[in-house]
Amino acid sequence: MKELEPYWGRRALDFVEAIEASKTAANVISQFEKVINELGFHAYIMAGIPMSGQSLAELTIANGWPVEWFELYNRENLHLVDPVPKHCFNSLNPFEWKDVAYDRERDRQAHGVMMRARDFGLCEGFCIPIHYDDGIGAVSIAGERPYLDTQTRGALHLMGVFTHGRMRALSRPGVATSGRRLSGVEAEVLRWAARGKTAWETGQILGISERNVRWHIEEAQRKLMTNNKTATVATAIVNREILI
Amino acid sequence: MREIHVVQRDNRHLYEKYFDPYFRLRHDIYVKQRKWMALDRPDGREIDQFDTEDAVYLFCLDGGQLIGAMRALPTVQPTLMSDIFPYLSLRGPVHRADVYELSRIFVIPERRGEHAGPRIEMLLLTAIMEYGISIGLTGFSIVLESWWLPRFERCGWRAHPLGLPQMIDGMSVLAVLVDCDETTWKSLCRQIGLTNPTLTWHGLTGLNRQILPDISLLHSLTVQPVR
Repeated sequence: MKELEPYWGRRALDFVEAIEASKTAANVISQFEKVINELGFHAYIMAGIPMSGQSLAELTIANGWPVEWFELYNRENLHLVDPVPKHCFNSLNPFEWKDVAYDRERDRQAHGVMMRARDFGLCEGFCIPIHYDDGIGAVSIAGERPYLDTQTRGALHLMGVFTHGRMRALSRPGVATSGRRLSGVEAEVLRWAARGKTAWETGQILGISERNVRWHIEEAQRKLMTNNKTATVATAIVNREILI
Repeated sequence: MREIHVVQRDNRHLYEKYFDPYFRLRHDIYVKQRKWMALDRPDGREIDQFDTEDAVYLFCLDGGQLIGAMRALPTVQPTLMSDIFPYLSLRGPVHRADVYELSRIFVIPERRGEHAGPRIEMLLLTAIMEYGISIGLTGFSIVLESWWLPRFERCGWRAHPLGLPQMIDGMSVLAVLVDCDETTWKSLCRQIGLTNPTLTWHGLTGLNRQILPDISLLHSLTVQPVR
């Protein structure tokens, strides 16, 4: 194993330290944009890989793709044929777009996506799969002629994973943050309401009475100063007191 | 009943019968399944130079069967990072009395991803924090496969990278230092619904242990949806 010249190693460690100290998602993402720019990448996306029935837009954590490309991609549900997100299911390691195998003759659609991406300057790309127990996400970055070698790949991998993690952490209601006012049960009841469950159904799910569920919703409503269940759920989502 | 036992020099004699299955499990998991062929030994046991009398093991036992484990090594002595992967840490290997190195973290395949009660992986990650706090550690160094990082992040383990990930035998690997503190432990206990410490310290009464913070009220407000 050869020693790597540590310039990008140090840069990546400093970067991670800086974003761990950042308090806002906007600040984290602007640092990320800046650093990948230096390596010749002008576009990125951080998102969950859509499963059947899901769209990319609803799973996107950070969108740094050209606007038209993101719109086109969503409108035509290109994730269904794009070989890059598919490959994330088969790879624990990061990979370059060009290393994703697909049959150019038989899989015309896959080839089509890769060619259309080029129209937006997404010629060469690097993708970092993010594996959780219950889902897969990815950080994918692209540019016209990015600078990729063993060292910068390692640095991009590290910075990508930590940026993704930091973005998620900042969008999660922290236990320590004082902004959360709902109790655990109230948040739980609202989460089920957000998924369309009635008070009776929520009661069945949580093993408590329907009356009890209504009471928790009333309490949440009082705390959030809203006047009906829909508004309470909406406010709780906007305030990030619940995530769905 | 799943119990997590601290096993080290002073009480190892109480756990002798578990060591043979333990080393065989390591061989099954790391050599046969994960194909870390450098660890292969003809006797079907995976034992390396770090399984010394200073190594500390957490054994997760259920009804007398070993179902998961991890190993902790004092970093003032040789570690995987210092002796095998020194190039993974840009500022040099960690050598600190308040940091132990974790390795060989596993759950037997048939008990992975269980939905009844806390997952064993989570139980082990929580238990090692409890161990660290109890003996006054501030961190754990780990050489691990990079795909673990999002899982650590999700469960509240704060990992600080020590160098760049590198490809080793086809797998991206890196070195990290993870904070060991009460906040992390409490947050893990809250997530998995623990209201009491989990570690069993049979035969270790001579060990000087720090007092743990009270976690008995942590879980009173949350309700888990029924699956």
